[in-house]
Amino acid sequence: MRKEENYLPKSKFLRFFVRIGRFFKRLALGIAKGCVTYVKRFIDGSVGTKVTHVIMGFGNFWHKQIVKGLIFLALESGFLYLMIFSPEVNHTPIGGKAIANLITLGTTTGDVSSFGDNSMLMLLFGVVTWGIIIMFLFAYFSAIKSSYKADLDVRNGKKPSSFKEDIKDLLDGRFHVAMLTPAIIGIVVFTVLPTIFMILIAFTNYDSQHLPPGQLFSWVGFENFVAIFVGSGEISARFGPVLGWTMIWAFFATFTCYIGGILLALLINNKHIKMKKAWRTVFVMTIALPQFISLLAVRELLSVNGPFNSILKTLGITTTGIEFLGNADNAWTARIMVILINLWVGIPYTMLMTTGILMNVPKELYEAAEIDGANKRQIFHNITVPYILFVTAPYLITSFIGNITSFNIIYLLTGGSPTVSGGYIAGATDLLVTWLYKLTIDNTEYSTGAVISIMTFIITASVTLISYRRTKTYKEEDAFQ
Amino acid sequence: MKKVFLALLLCLFAIPILAGCSNNKALTIWVGSESVEFYTDKMDEYVETYNSTHEEAFPYEVEVKGVDTGTAASTYLDDVDAGADIFTVAHDNLGKLISGSSSIAPITDAELLAQIQNDNPDIFLDVITGTVDGVTYTFGVPYIAQSLVLYYNTKYISAEQAQTWEGIWQAAKDNNKQALSLAGTDGYNNSFLLLARNATTNATTLRLYVDGVQSDCYATGDDTISVLKWGQRFFTDANGAKSPSSSGWEVELKDEISISFIGGAWHLEAAKASLGDNLGVTVLPTFTITAADAYGTVEAGTVFQSGTFADTKMFVMKKGSDKAEYLQDILLFLSSKEVQEESFATCANLPAYKNALEEFTEFSADTVEAKLASAELAMFDYGIPQPFGYSSKYNTYYYSKGAPDLILEILENDGGNFSTDAEIVAQMQVVESLWKTGARPDA
Repeated sequence: MRKEENYLPKSKFLRFFVRIGRFFKRLALGIAKGCVTYVKRFIDGSVGTKVTHVIMGFGNFWHKQIVKGLIFLALESGFLYLMIFSPEVNHTPIGGKAIANLITLGTTTGDVSSFGDNSMLMLLFGVVTWGIIIMFLFAYFSAIKSSYKADLDVRNGKKPSSFKEDIKDLLDGRFHVAMLTPAIIGIVVFTVLPTIFMILIAFTNYDSQHLPPGQLFSWVGFENFVAIFVGSGEISARFGPVLGWTMIWAFFATFTCYIGGILLALLINNKHIKMKKAWRTVFVMTIALPQFISLLAVRELLSVNGPFNSILKTLGITTTGIEFLGNADNAWTARIMVILINLWVGIPYTMLMTTGILMNVPKELYEAAEIDGANKRQIFHNITVPYILFVTAPYLITSFIGNITSFNIIYLLTGGSPTVSGGYIAGATDLLVTWLYKLTIDNTEYSTGAVISIMTFIITASVTLISYRRTKTYKEEDAFQ
Repeated sequence: MKKVFLALLLCLFAIPILAGCSNNKALTIWVGSESVEFYTDKMDEYVETYNSTHEEAFPYEVEVKGVDTGTAASTYLDDVDAGADIFTVAHDNLGKLISGSSSIAPITDAELLAQIQNDNPDIFLDVITGTVDGVTYTFGVPYIAQSLVLYYNTKYISAEQAQTWEGIWQAAKDNNKQALSLAGTDGYNNSFLLLARNATTNATTLRLYVDGVQSDCYATGDDTISVLKWGQRFFTDANGAKSPSSSGWEVELKDEISISFIGGAWHLEAAKASLGDNLGVTVLPTFTITAADAYGTVEAGTVFQSGTFADTKMFVMKKGSDKAEYLQDILLFLSSKEVQEESFATCANLPAYKNALEEFTEFSADTVEAKLASAELAMFDYGIPQPFGYSSKYNTYYYSKGAPDLILEILENDGGNFSTDAEIVAQMQVVESLWKTGARPDA
């Protein structure tokens, strides 16, 4: 049976679907198991536990766990108050009504003296209410579990734990629970809910023509996605080129810095190089200096009347200044320049990391290789490189992802320029993220921005998953000691 | 240790919760960062007067905060409830503030409405009103004016030469410099050409969302094409105008690469830093159409006056403010002629009231600030306010859909693509389409 479950077809395509199928199977089994446990506890539990299924905390009161019972009761009371009375925050209800509002996103436009519905807050509060419902369900099942546990304690001749004992247990045996709970709540509130909110915006027409609170926006299904992929407008025209340049940038920015950093580390670690620490310090200085200062300084150095152009003029290479960045005549001039400038800020990180790795390669490996008659090239190729690649593969992937979502370098050096003929918002050096910034912050095109965010996430997540699973670091996780 | 760790974690979580629970009951006013101190003093004065003339003391603390006036409207719209009771915006932000059912409150106080009507030039009165549900309301109270002027290097350009672009151009040729630097290529900075008007008739055929009508845009008149042809000669000449570069106009002026610059009052400090005692300020110059520029009915020898967007900053009120009953009286005070004049003396904010050039004696002083103010107000005769307050999309169509780049392409004539009248007219037809619809004619 076990063998059958572990069986995967040889075709990668089929494997993908088999895995998805298994995920849903496990999910269904989990839900079914939960339902069985729920019914079992209701049937098997004491009167207190049975009532707890309706009134949270009752089972704890039943077993004289007053404080615990009060906490659960307060949670249920608060939840019911929220869902029934739907108190208003900034003129918009949160709770039960927010669920209904999530469907319409508002119907009343208001007038010059009074506010109508605020679609943005309705969407936000709808998402928050769903978050509250899920957290309440967790508390609800915890209440039943707690009461049932007390039932079992009584049946086994034990005294149900007091609140003081529970707290003591939380600070000792279950300290991990005490520590992880705020973190999980934080992740839900600050990461999961905003992400869901952002994803939902992609399915609305929340843009410069539908700005709350004066205007309503509504659900538009996949219209924004269609506009990007098969539309005839500006977004559609620029998405492909921007995505293409983003991938080119990410590839070159990653690998030039990676290879450059390794070469620099190898050079500095060469036994013929003196003052190794001093060299390392010089390059680490670029990390110590805030990146935006370095970038602004480089921008000034390369400006049309800046020092670099002055040198070129003095040497007679050019008579007029050359625009290297945002005002460049040719887009590729600016693109190549940002990749080159990126070396300055990127190489020291790889150099530093590789230096650490090189210093930790077991000397015995080199000695054994020398005894076996390997030459320097063979040693480098068969020991040093695999060792570095093994350790740095995850860094390489995160660096690639980081470069896809890199903002500072492009924004500070070129601002996305040179402009593209036709006057699109996205310039020739704009990456998906800088374009996203312009669309949302400068032009309030939030729904289009949300679609681009989703696409960026899909790309980065896919690249991460596929590439990481193919690395030795993943496949031979336990090999490195 | 575990307990301490847990306590710290709980404290960390408590901070945002407590911050969120804080309830600020002060009456809040957002002004430009440079004016915070001035308006704080003025509000202290207001509260003092209020307390001495009323039986009950002014019921709120007043908090004056400095904001970036360019983004204040967006900040307000992001969270209206957290927005200020009174805040300052450029008039062309009105469109997005009143879109739909409006997010700001209209002015209703008769005394304040009368002051607005009596004190302000007509061009401002048109752009501080807006229509909601078919009814037109006054939403803004103008209190600062701004327009573009000419900053120039007196070492190379005489006051007389500065009156015409030909004079400046000649000075640049004589000294092997470039005549003009610009702060940007956007639709604001090219307005000196686009909005240029016949110096004799003070008229232009250019139409830009006239009376807020989206389709009422026109940029292919004979005068506009002639002006662009003149501009093309100016921008393509080695000693003519200089397209913005990566060095920035400040460096270009300081290094004497160029000898003049078109800017607003907000550029004054940088211009002073670049030119020091050689800084001259005057109205934007005129230029004369030559035979090479003449197009259609425009004859060679016709003189054009460079134009400008003549804008105002205005106070607006939060919709649904619980202090609404006090706000209009405060605005009556803050936008009074006296406070506007004091604001000029203290913060160099140019008064917006009409006839300020004649009535306000400070303008006759022999200071750069006074000259700048006089030049700015004089430019109001040759300018129009940015007509984008009628609708939030006009601003986007004018600035962000590529029209400024198309105009720059004509001026720079890269590759000789705009060497004929027909090519220029065709390009301007695309510009018209972008203004009207946000899209090219073939899109």
